[in-house]
Amino acid sequence: MVPRIALHFTWLLLAVCVHAGSLLLQNPRFTITSSTAAQLRADTLSLTEKPEPLKLEPSDTLKLTFQITEKSEGKGVQPHQTFLRFYDSVSGEEGIQPVRVTPGGKAKFELNMARPPASLPPTTDHPLEVSLILGSFVHEPTTFDLFDLYVPSSYTPVPHPDEAKFHKLPLIHHTFRPEQKLPPKFVSAIFAALVLSPWLVLLGLWSKIGVRVPHLFSPRIIPFTVLLGAFEALLCWYWVDLKLGQVLLYGGILAIPTIFAGKTALAATGEWRTGKN
Amino acid sequence: MRFFVSALVSFLALANNVFAKSGTGDSVLVVIDPSLKKEDYSKFFGGLEERGYQLTFRGPRDAHPPVEQYGIPGFSHVILFTPETKSYASDITPQSLVGLLSENTNLLVTLSTKQTPLSSLSAEFSLIPPPPGTPLISHHPARSEPATVIPIPVSESPLLTPGTSPVWFSGVPHAFGNSPYLVPILRATSESFAADSLDDSGADALVDASEKAGEGLWAGSHLGLVTGFQTLKNSRVVFAGGVEMFSDEYANKALPDGTPSGNEKFVKDITAWAFRETLALRIDNTTHHRAGEEVPPETYTTNDQIVYTAHISAYDPKTSSWKPYSGITDMQLEFTMLDPHIRIALPPVAGEPGKYQVQFRAPDRHGVFKFVVDWRRKGYPLLQTSTTVPVVPPRHDQYPRFLSAAWPYYAGAISTSVGFFLFSALWLAGDVEGKKKKGLKTE
Repeated sequence: MVPRIALHFTWLLLAVCVHAGSLLLQNPRFTITSSTAAQLRADTLSLTEKPEPLKLEPSDTLKLTFQITEKSEGKGVQPHQTFLRFYDSVSGEEGIQPVRVTPGGKAKFELNMARPPASLPPTTDHPLEVSLILGSFVHEPTTFDLFDLYVPSSYTPVPHPDEAKFHKLPLIHHTFRPEQKLPPKFVSAIFAALVLSPWLVLLGLWSKIGVRVPHLFSPRIIPFTVLLGAFEALLCWYWVDLKLGQVLLYGGILAIPTIFAGKTALAATGEWRTGKN
Repeated sequence: MRFFVSALVSFLALANNVFAKSGTGDSVLVVIDPSLKKEDYSKFFGGLEERGYQLTFRGPRDAHPPVEQYGIPGFSHVILFTPETKSYASDITPQSLVGLLSENTNLLVTLSTKQTPLSSLSAEFSLIPPPPGTPLISHHPARSEPATVIPIPVSESPLLTPGTSPVWFSGVPHAFGNSPYLVPILRATSESFAADSLDDSGADALVDASEKAGEGLWAGSHLGLVTGFQTLKNSRVVFAGGVEMFSDEYANKALPDGTPSGNEKFVKDITAWAFRETLALRIDNTTHHRAGEEVPPETYTTNDQIVYTAHISAYDPKTSSWKPYSGITDMQLEFTMLDPHIRIALPPVAGEPGKYQVQFRAPDRHGVFKFVVDWRRKGYPLLQTSTTVPVVPPRHDQYPRFLSAAWPYYAGAISTSVGFFLFSALWLAGDVEGKKKKGLKTE
C-alpha cells in the first residue's frame, strides 16, 4: 500500500516539474468610488488575511486591479480561466464573472451596482465571499480568497406555481360558531316557579273548602281514569323517547279500551244524576 | 391435470411481475449508438443484469423492437445511449418518448455537445441546454487527464449512497429552469465552465461570450450535470450530460489522489432511482369514519368528530415487495369544499408501521367535502388521493334537548296535562247537588 502511494506522489511531482509552474497574483488593489466619483475606500489586498468586509451602496462602483505572473520567470501571463467567484455561503447561491486579462497579465474588473452584471447571484443581507479562480492548460490551477462583500439585496425570482406544494403549507383551522349561550339556571328556575305558582293557589283554596270526591274509586269510573292517566304517561314517554309512528300505534291500541271505559263512566254519572233525583 | 397446467402457466406469467427487481417491471430497452461498443459499458450493463433486469439492445435506426406498439409500451424502462444521434427510426421521437412517460415507462437519456432531438427534449423538462459545441471543462484539480475529463465530488442527496467518491465526468452541463419537479443529482464544481477553447489563447473569447450572451458565462455550481425529473404520473427521467460516465474506463480510472472513482456506485444509484427501485412510495388505502365507530357512514353531520387513516408503503428492492413505511413526517390532510376548510398534519401512528391517522371536527358548513392528501417532495413520487363525502346539517331531532332555558315551558306544559287529568278525574268522581232545589219548589 505504501509503495503505491509513493508511486502516485512521484508521478505528481513529475507532472509538476513538467508544468511551467504556478501562477502568482501581484499587486491586487481595490477601490470603491461613489456615484459622485468620490473615493470611499482604497486598499491593497493581502493574500494571507482578508480585509474588513467591503460594502457597496446601490450607486457605488468597485474597481479591482491585479497582475498575474508566472512563479518561475516572473513575467505576466494570460491564463485561460480568470474568474471571480461570488458565493453566498448561507443560501448557497453562486455567481461566476470572467475578468478580462491582457496578454501581459494585467487585469481590471469593475462592478457598478447601478448596472450589475448578470452573473451576480441573488443576494440577501449576508455577505458574498469573493475569490479568484485561475486555470490554465499549461500552468497549475490556483484559487485565491480575496474579500467579503456586502451588496444591496436583490429581488427574489418568481417561483413556479407548483413550488408551494413541495413544502409544508400553513395549517388552516376552522372557526366554529360559538356555543349557544343559555341564561343562568337560577333565572330559569325562578320563572319555572312563577309558572307553577297557580297550583299553590289552587291547592291552598282547596284545602280551605275541602274537596268531596265520593265516587273516585267506584269500579265504573276507575278504568277510565286509569286509562286517561296511561294516555298522559304515553305523551310523556313520546316527549322523552318515542317516535311519531310508535306513539300513534300505542295511542291507537290504548284508545280502544278507553272508548268503552269512557262510555261506562259517562253512563254511570248520568245514572247518578237522574237516579239521585 | 389441465387445471394444474393452467394454474402453473398463470403463476409463471404473474411471477414475472412479482419477482421483478423494480416495482414497475424489469424489461429494459437499451438504444445504443452504433459508434459506441456494448463491451465498453460491460460493468454498467452487467450490474443491471445482476440486479435482475432483462436488457434488449438495438440501434437508433433499427425498427425492431419498437419502444411502443399501438400506444402500448413494449418495455418498462428505456436507456438512450445515443448522445450524438440526430436521426432515429420512426418510433423514437420526442413525442413518443413523452408518451412513454405518460404510460409509466422510465427513461435514462444521455446528452452531448451536439444538438440532437434529445437536447430539445431536455428543454421541455425545464432544463436549458448550453450552446452547441461547448463541453464542460475545468482546470481544477490539477491532474494528468485533459481538461474535459473532470472529477466531480458527489454531494449529499437522498437518492445517492452517502460517502460516494467523486465521479469522473465528461460531457455538457445544463442550466435549471424553475420547475420544482426537477431533482438535481450532480452539479458542476464551482471552478468548471462550458467553453470550446483548447488553449490559453481562448481567454478573450470566454470574456466576449459572457458579455454577449446576456445570461452570463456558463460556469459554476448552479449548472447541473445529471438531473432527474419526476412526472405527475410518477414515472422518472434522468438526463445525464455525457455517456462516458457510464463506461468501464471511467469506472476503473483512479482519482487524482489515488482512490478509486465512485462511478460504478453512482451510476447504480441513479439507475435505481430512475427505474423506481429506491424512493418509491405509494398509498395502499385510505379509510374514514366517525370517532368511536369503524365503518364509514353514508353521510357525516356538521361538527362530527371524524377519524381519517391512510396506509403508505415503500418498495423494498432487496425483497422485491412493498413494505409499510412510516418515515413521512410532514404529510398534511385537507378537508376541502372548493377551498380547503381544514388543513392539518397527518402524522404516523407510533407502533403501527405504515399507518397515518388524524382526528378532527367537521366544519360548521354543510356540503360535499373531499378528503385530499397531496404530498410532493423533490425526488419522491407524488402521493395523491381524494375521497368525496357529504356533510349534512343535523336532523330535527339531533339538536341539543332539555335545555335549562326551557324549564318554564316544560313546567307549563306538564301543568296543563296534569290539570286536565285532575279535572276529568274530579268531575267524574264528584257529587251532584242541583236536584234538591227543584223538589222544594213543587211542594
